[in-house]
Amino acid sequence: MHEYEARLLDFLTKRGQASMDEMERGTGMGRDKLVWALESLAEKGAVSVKRERIIEAKVTKEASGYRDEFPEEALVRRISSAGRMRISSINDQIALGWAKRNGWIRVDSGSVTLTEAGKKATSGAGYAQRSALCSLIKGEDPSSVMAKAKDAWTTLIKRNLIEVKEATAITDATPTKVGIDMHAGAPAAGVGELTREMISSGSWRKQKFREYDVNAQTESAYPARLHPVREFTNRIRQKWFEMGFIEVEGPIIESAFWNFDALFSPQDHPTREMQDTFYLSNPKQLSIDDVELIGRVKKMHLEGWKEGWSEQLARSPVLRTHTTSVSARYMKKLAKAAESSYPAKLFSIGSVFRNEATDYKHLAELRQYDGIIVGDNLTMANLIQTLKSFYARLGLDDVKLAPSYFPFTEPSLGFFYYDEKRDDIIELCGGGIIRKEITKAMGLNKTVLAWGGGVDRLLLNDKIFGVGALPELYKNDIAWLRSRGGIKV
Amino acid sequence: MAIISFDTKDLQAANGGKRGLTDVITDMGVEIEEATKQEIKVNIDPNRPDLLDFTGMHRAIANFTGKKKPQDNRYKISNAPAMTITVQAAVKKVRPYIAGIVVKNADLTGQKLKYFINFTEKFSDTYGRKRKKLAIGVHSIAAINGSLTYTAEGSGSITPLGLGKPMRFDKLMKEHIKGITYQDAVPTFGKSYLYPLLKDDSKTIALIPVTNCEETKVTENTKELFIDITSTSDVALGNAAAVIACSFIDSGADVYPVEIAYGKAKKATPTLEYREIKLSMSTAERTLGVATGRHNIISLANRMGHTAAKYGSSVLFYVPPYRVDVLNEQDIIEDIAIAYGYNNIEPIAILGTSSGMSNDSADSDNRIALTMVGLGYTEAINSLLTSEEVSFTKMGWKPLKESYVSIADSKTSAITMLRQSLLPGLLQNIAASANATMPQRLFEVGKTFHVKAGKPIEGKGIAFVSVHSKANFAEIKSAVEALFKQTGTDYRIEEHRDAAFMQGRCARVVSKGRQAALFGEVHPETISNFRIEEPVVAAEISLDDL
Repeated sequence: MHEYEARLLDFLTKRGQASMDEMERGTGMGRDKLVWALESLAEKGAVSVKRERIIEAKVTKEASGYRDEFPEEALVRRISSAGRMRISSINDQIALGWAKRNGWIRVDSGSVTLTEAGKKATSGAGYAQRSALCSLIKGEDPSSVMAKAKDAWTTLIKRNLIEVKEATAITDATPTKVGIDMHAGAPAAGVGELTREMISSGSWRKQKFREYDVNAQTESAYPARLHPVREFTNRIRQKWFEMGFIEVEGPIIESAFWNFDALFSPQDHPTREMQDTFYLSNPKQLSIDDVELIGRVKKMHLEGWKEGWSEQLARSPVLRTHTTSVSARYMKKLAKAAESSYPAKLFSIGSVFRNEATDYKHLAELRQYDGIIVGDNLTMANLIQTLKSFYARLGLDDVKLAPSYFPFTEPSLGFFYYDEKRDDIIELCGGGIIRKEITKAMGLNKTVLAWGGGVDRLLLNDKIFGVGALPELYKNDIAWLRSRGGIKV
Repeated sequence: MAIISFDTKDLQAANGGKRGLTDVITDMGVEIEEATKQEIKVNIDPNRPDLLDFTGMHRAIANFTGKKKPQDNRYKISNAPAMTITVQAAVKKVRPYIAGIVVKNADLTGQKLKYFINFTEKFSDTYGRKRKKLAIGVHSIAAINGSLTYTAEGSGSITPLGLGKPMRFDKLMKEHIKGITYQDAVPTFGKSYLYPLLKDDSKTIALIPVTNCEETKVTENTKELFIDITSTSDVALGNAAAVIACSFIDSGADVYPVEIAYGKAKKATPTLEYREIKLSMSTAERTLGVATGRHNIISLANRMGHTAAKYGSSVLFYVPPYRVDVLNEQDIIEDIAIAYGYNNIEPIAILGTSSGMSNDSADSDNRIALTMVGLGYTEAINSLLTSEEVSFTKMGWKPLKESYVSIADSKTSAITMLRQSLLPGLLQNIAASANATMPQRLFEVGKTFHVKAGKPIEGKGIAFVSVHSKANFAEIKSAVEALFKQTGTDYRIEEHRDAAFMQGRCARVVSKGRQAALFGEVHPETISNFRIEEPVVAAEISLDDL
């Protein structure tokens, strides 16, 4: 016997009949565990239980916004204050449909006016759908709401404003003789479980097995899962592999040299502050051992920006603000590559950091994918094709381009998509052609197409995952990790 | 980068095309933060300071939409210098560069004064590094007596803008809002300030870069202006002067140079020079991957404010002085692309095939993560950023300052260092999961950070925790051994003491002569510090040697 069963049986034999609430208080077990123990004991014939059918109703996200006003109510209120409205000026088709169905409006040659019923609806007279919904939100028993307002109930279900489930639930339990004996240590009478002995001896042939209630509630099981960010990162990696890219990586603690200076970001200029940077107090300095490279980068700054350049500043350690630092390191490495390795296509994915205030689309740490294509005769048209193809693989077909600015690319561009749910334009990535000054300093006599974009913010997109806000991803609440939806691409 | 706002109707007046104003601004590459019927807020990238200025933005929209075509040599000044500034040696070491501009027939009515002041403030804040590198002052010429001297002194007084009476400099630095705000921008000599000053024959007209004097204050009705720009950088100075002078020329005012006298050497400011950049047709087309045609390139360049002419098989571009961002032909090609329209570029696939390849370290992370899932552990991913409070204090561990990576200037107290262990994060996750059904089993694979002999070390580890009423040493030992057996590494288990674990219920794994893992029953003190209410067993394994 499981410890939960023993605890429950102990309580019931002392107490006799008990309701669910009494059992919960008496045993100190949570509702889930209690139901599981009860069902298990009932199967063994140790308790007899009373069941009733219950209705559970869940108010959907959409509906919780309708608590004060349904869209059709908002519409008639607008029509009422305007007198009449052009039908073409009404965007909310749902509101229009229901106002019509309720007989609140009449449409006459493209012009919408209120009927008598519509005027009544604006006077604040109760709207049956809304009062039923509010009762549910307040916690009223769904069966009584259903009985009171049958029509509204059916409509709410049809409109997907509530989700209804029927179930049977135990209301109370009484220990049987079997249970009392079990508790006293006597062997269980009757046959509940098939045993190893029954199988080997063949005695099961003579047994009569009790039949179970297949709808009885059982304890929930939770499969262990990978984190959605890992799952999605692996999908992104897969897309780059499919497109012929090689995965690389680089350090998170980076010198200002590789994070900024090698990428032509001037030392005393607002460009450095395009992302707020975390500087470190330990370690204090990083070494850059390639003296020749330092010389070439210094020359690039002095010639390009015509202001001073300090090697000391370049040695400051920072938490990398973009994975472009990895791309910079690989541009240097590729300078020594054989001609046959071009065009070289590389990508990296990793954490980057911003010392800034956080909100639903900004975190201090986020994940980025960065890529470069290095070769001859590469064009903006090639870059656009590569990225459009990548986003199409993520189900984002309608991406838009706009000019952008980065100190290390020229021309520079941004890829965007419009997030309907949030009514916000979300930047997917920035990119461009790496400035010749940089490739020259790296000793690379090639054209480099480059880009970098956020991993996390793609998870905001409903077509991909649809997390409400980025901080939710990293709270690691087990209940959420167990019940979250899947990655859809 | 720098957000600035303009009245919508003022900008609308520049729009000569059929596309809506916000679409035009986006096409130009300027990010819109917010747009209403009254106001447009834009975010100006650091490469285009000319767009922080209303006249500059107006001009860019008018050029882009074809309402106005750029003219050759529009920004050449032929007027003789209207004023002289004598520079004294005292400023040489602290803020050596100064430029002056005289403007006559200025029109600052309506919103124009506000726009210009907003521009000078934003410019001095960003490019001027909060005025330390560069600052701009605007004066009414009528209130300037005689000739100007640029010098630096250790004391003096000024009637600061907005105040009726003079104030001593030292008092102003301590008590006046501007003095307090720009303390760091005023140079020091030894322990005291050395104030850069602009003086006329009777008074100090500017305490640079803090405040101007009240007497030379500019109003909407001021027609004749003197503008001073001071800087520690000759390049930044020239750029600011060019942007301002071009702006006043385009607003219809008359711009006069100012002569700067360094002893006997004399120089006139601003120097408004067109840069000539030659670009061959094939370079532009090869970069963009589109055939534009030479004639078309010229009209595209016009829309970006450049004038251009055919030059053999190339095109010669004349870059106006206010376009301080244009360094060479790459920047011209970008301008052509912007005018052509990025969304009009037909995508072209790169020819040839190549094969993708994954990184070993990412692959091994995935393998170990799947093993943990097989053992019934759910994955967590935590930030690498954490605090001493979580990493040490709550665990019962003692921080060794020189051994972990600490952050210099964070904006929040929850972020002060990079994690050196994965366990604290998982314990925080358990505390946040109080409502989830037991048993709770979590793991994380990821990077940890240390500093050794002044060098950062990025390591990799795995940690896992199991939380429920029956969680015990045996459970966690089984899981740890399962992982070591799977990797095929030799190991032995030893008794260990650690403040985060219960004495006698803590062990370490030694492999290849080094401590490779730590596990056991978490100490009730640590459990309580994280506000967890159930027994916890935990393990952390270094993956660097496995």
